[in-house]
Amino acid sequence: MPSVQDRVVAVTARVLQLDESEIKLEQNFSADLGAESVQSIELVANFEEEFGIEMEEDAALSVDTVASAVEFITKVCEEQGVAV
Amino acid sequence: MSVADRRKDHPLIDTTEPNLLEETFDYSLPPLIKFDGPMVETIDGEQITFDPNAAVKRDIHITDTTFRDGQQARPPYSIDQMVHIFDLMAKLGGPQGVIRQTEFFLYTKNDRETLDRCRDLGHDFPECTGWIRAVKGDFRLVKEAGLKETGMLTSCSDYHIFNKLKFKSRQECMDSYCEVVDAAFEAGIRPRCHLEDITRADWDGFVMPFVDRLMRMSEQVADELSVKIRICDTMGFGLHYPGVELPRSVPKMVYKLNQECGVPSSRLEWHGHNDFHRVHANGATAWLYGCDALNGTLFGFGERTGNPPIEGAIMEYIALKGSLCGIQTEVITELAEYMRSIGLPIPENYPFVGKHFNTTRAGIHAGGLRSDERIYNICDTTALLGRPPRVALTDKSGADGVALWVNDFFGLKGDERISKIKVHKLARWVMDQYEVEGRMTAISDEELEQKTEELMPVYWEKFKGVAV
Repeated sequence: MPSVQDRVVAVTARVLQLDESEIKLEQNFSADLGAESVQSIELVANFEEEFGIEMEEDAALSVDTVASAVEFITKVCEEQGVAV
Repeated sequence: MSVADRRKDHPLIDTTEPNLLEETFDYSLPPLIKFDGPMVETIDGEQITFDPNAAVKRDIHITDTTFRDGQQARPPYSIDQMVHIFDLMAKLGGPQGVIRQTEFFLYTKNDRETLDRCRDLGHDFPECTGWIRAVKGDFRLVKEAGLKETGMLTSCSDYHIFNKLKFKSRQECMDSYCEVVDAAFEAGIRPRCHLEDITRADWDGFVMPFVDRLMRMSEQVADELSVKIRICDTMGFGLHYPGVELPRSVPKMVYKLNQECGVPSSRLEWHGHNDFHRVHANGATAWLYGCDALNGTLFGFGERTGNPPIEGAIMEYIALKGSLCGIQTEVITELAEYMRSIGLPIPENYPFVGKHFNTTRAGIHAGGLRSDERIYNICDTTALLGRPPRVALTDKSGADGVALWVNDFFGLKGDERISKIKVHKLARWVMDQYEVEGRMTAISDEELEQKTEELMPVYWEKFKGVAV
């Protein structure tokens, strides 16, 4: 099974229409990867769908880098009993 | 004192709790108008102070000319239309008569039938009054109609006296007007002299001598016949701020008539026009400086650019008095809908009744509305006007705007409300309309409903109860 990090990178690449190889953990979704307002919402929605979780809106939208998204999603999966 | 000497320190008063200034912005009413000192005007070299709080305690009120000046700006209303508008106006002004009077033409059979049918409704307010030319024979019409008061033209600028009415002198003009006033007294009818074009008139040379004479004539008759003065800013030249010279100064005009000519506030009325966008401010200013009646028309329809809008005066009245005083504000919406239905256009951004008067388009504003509607709504327009704040979706609306529209559409409140994450497909469709399709117009409610059903089928089924 792919890791949380691999799945986050895959979703990010798909939503932002990037090549997975262009995405680095330390990159900021908006400043480095060019996510605009609606794309930020789409990222969160697609992460929810990918992992089968529900994320609190304000907390999810305050996540700014790929690494912090991996960390945040891992924590939510644990809280909601979703195996990753 | 120099600017440097006037400088003060203004230290931050830090707090973790917001101060929403709710004594003024209590949201259930239009924001209250509060005064923290007198208004000062220099008149003939003397500083005169006016107490606005005392002014607010006077019996200020609104009078209507929708059927007279209002009708001069459009094709005639039918009798049924006027009777319906009159009925709604009575409800709007309430039992305390905040809308105190309305005036009617009396010249045709239709005019007189309209008047009879309006009075047959049995409302205490607005009282029906007449409007006639300054012609002695016309009082027969007023008397036959059983009216106690009528307006009559007494134009007072030299533009009118010499160039329009062709009098040979001011004396001849004044004598002619006063003959008609005498005829009114003889007929037992109170004359309301409409001092037309007063903001272009010679005050020392004609206006005040004429009003002095009218007041002396009034002393000879019973109180209920004494002359009322309508201050008519016929061309919209009036200015409301202090320091302006006569004849354009609203404060000075009202003061001179009230204090120097001795016209009581209860017999002074302001009638304005909107040629320079000053119509409402001038009317409200007249209230504050000593004039009890503010004459206007529904939605400001009137000759050329129109008159003080009555719905604006209603909101100002509530804001000054601090309570509804029996006014049924929701009737404003009913009147607007009726006016539209009979072919009177109301611009979409027109205050209180325009289709989009409380619609926000910017996403950042929609985000504010979503968290607390007070942030971008003027007052509780849902309760006062039956008009909840809305968003119109464009490329500037963002996911916040889309979420607000969806929640309003489904009627969801509090914890039930759908987060913007759940509307992402609809938000994407909206953005693509502009970024991909090159759209240049706002998206209609009908389009959004259709797309919501298509892109949010689970929510559609849950809240619209329709299987998909």
